[in-house]
Amino acid sequence: MALLLRTVARQGLCLSRSQFGVLYRPAVPMGTAAKKEINKFWAKNTQLNRPVSPHISIYKWSVPMMMSISHRGTGVALSSGISVFALAALVLPESYPYYLDLIHSMTFGPQFFAFSKFALAFPVAYHSFNGIRHLAWDLGKGFKIPEVYRSGYIVIALTVLTSIGLAAM
Amino acid sequence: MAKLLSNRLYAQEHVKDKATALADGHGLSSSRAASKHWTGERVLSVVLLGMAPAAHLCPAPLLDYSIAAALTLHGHWGIGQVLTDYVHGDAKVKLAKASVLLLSTATYFGLCYFNYHDVGLCKAVAMLWQI
Repeated sequence: MALLLRTVARQGLCLSRSQFGVLYRPAVPMGTAAKKEINKFWAKNTQLNRPVSPHISIYKWSVPMMMSISHRGTGVALSSGISVFALAALVLPESYPYYLDLIHSMTFGPQFFAFSKFALAFPVAYHSFNGIRHLAWDLGKGFKIPEVYRSGYIVIALTVLTSIGLAAM
Repeated sequence: MAKLLSNRLYAQEHVKDKATALADGHGLSSSRAASKHWTGERVLSVVLLGMAPAAHLCPAPLLDYSIAAALTLHGHWGIGQVLTDYVHGDAKVKLAKASVLLLSTATYFGLCYFNYHDVGLCKAVAMLWQI
């Protein structure tokens, strides 16, 4: 907010010096001015080696907070997994069925495969269901705090049930 | 009626001139691009959600390639947001974005290669689940 006010004030100063002639700009060009400000902020503060105020180490963790970072965590993990799979497909000599048979022939019990399916399905399910929750927020729905918690618990419940269901298939 | 139309055309042209005048200073066009990017991200998410049941119900090469594209782009944009949050400074941002672009391109290429030379994504998941 202060950033916005300072940028507008600067614009006002420029206009009074009539550099822009007749063209009056009512809208604040947030694109470059804000980015410049932010870069200047980070450059100055990292150069001065200023400590960052403790936030995640002192602020009480809440379910919405944990679900939010988990959404990011599962997203990054899944993306990395896809990339590893894709690069492996390019690099490994044999075909997919060959490697599947290789894993299948290894002396793991059925519990191992069931657990592995659960471990694969869980982040996919969580990210998908929480993604739907995010899309609901993007439509403007469900921002009241009780609603945030309720939708959060529903996402967790659906994730667990879906993962168990998929692992059992 | 004609006056309404001519007024609207005049207004449109006027806005366009203003937009091009501001565009070189990255004014309105930059925030409009950001807004379109945001909308694009949400549209892609919905499309990707729809592809999951489709992959289960009617696996096909067309779906394999569509999933490869949608999945890679969704991941690419997602990682882009993570970068925007945690990486600061023009040089670092440029380097990070270039690296992610390289990774995403390689990922897309790898997935397409898998779709073409191997069993394909839909079949791969089905086979994995039958293990």
